[in-house]
Amino acid sequence: MGDVLKFYVPGKPEYVSTVRMVVSSLANAAGFDVESIEDIKVAVSEACTNVVCHGMPDGNSYEVFCEIGDGLLRISVTDQAGGCDMEKYRCPDLDCPKEGGLGLFIIRTLMDEVDIFSELGRGTKIQMIKYRPK
Amino acid sequence: MSLDIKREYDETEGRWNVTLCGEVDIENAACLRAALKEMLEQRLSSVEIDIQNLSYIDSTGLGVLIGAYGRMKESGAQFRLRRPAKNVEKLLRITSLDRIFL
Repeated sequence: MGDVLKFYVPGKPEYVSTVRMVVSSLANAAGFDVESIEDIKVAVSEACTNVVCHGMPDGNSYEVFCEIGDGLLRISVTDQAGGCDMEKYRCPDLDCPKEGGLGLFIIRTLMDEVDIFSELGRGTKIQMIKYRPK
Repeated sequence: MSLDIKREYDETEGRWNVTLCGEVDIENAACLRAALKEMLEQRLSSVEIDIQNLSYIDSTGLGVLIGAYGRMKESGAQFRLRRPAKNVEKLLRITSLDRIFL
């Protein structure tokens, strides 16, 4: 396992920008280029926004786990917010944009690998990997 | 993190000119929603938003813009974004919002 940085964030809107700053700084230190840093920043921020939007009871904390691997950055955002039924997830219709539902689509587009594990009654984990361009 | 919203109504063009400076995310998207709502309640005219100095926008912010666009579309008014930074343009492109906003 590479170097790991793990922290807990209160499930409140005002802390999402803090996570954004931390992962930007980490991706920069891990040698990613400017565009990749931006992709990581946007994707992780969307994952956190997802947690905050879909209800952390009483502002409970969620976990952000970052691992700097060999040529990659793996980040997972894990909450205990009750989970959701991923089978019900539908890709947004880009010809008919709606106010919500873009977050996961953006994450999947900007990151190289994305896995979502969700258990109803428990929580959700969004794991994202970005490979460093050679 | 902050967001500065400047707006003025251009009587000659019959259009709201808006300038956004800073970042829009889940923390302050409601401020943008409120500002657009107030403007459109005052005058339901076209809106042009200069986003040259908007350094970041998330899906919540994009949702606010989509909502305003949806309300205006029926009235025939235009809703345009101008001069996006490279990173914001990329986000608009991957969500295909460039086709309606740019």
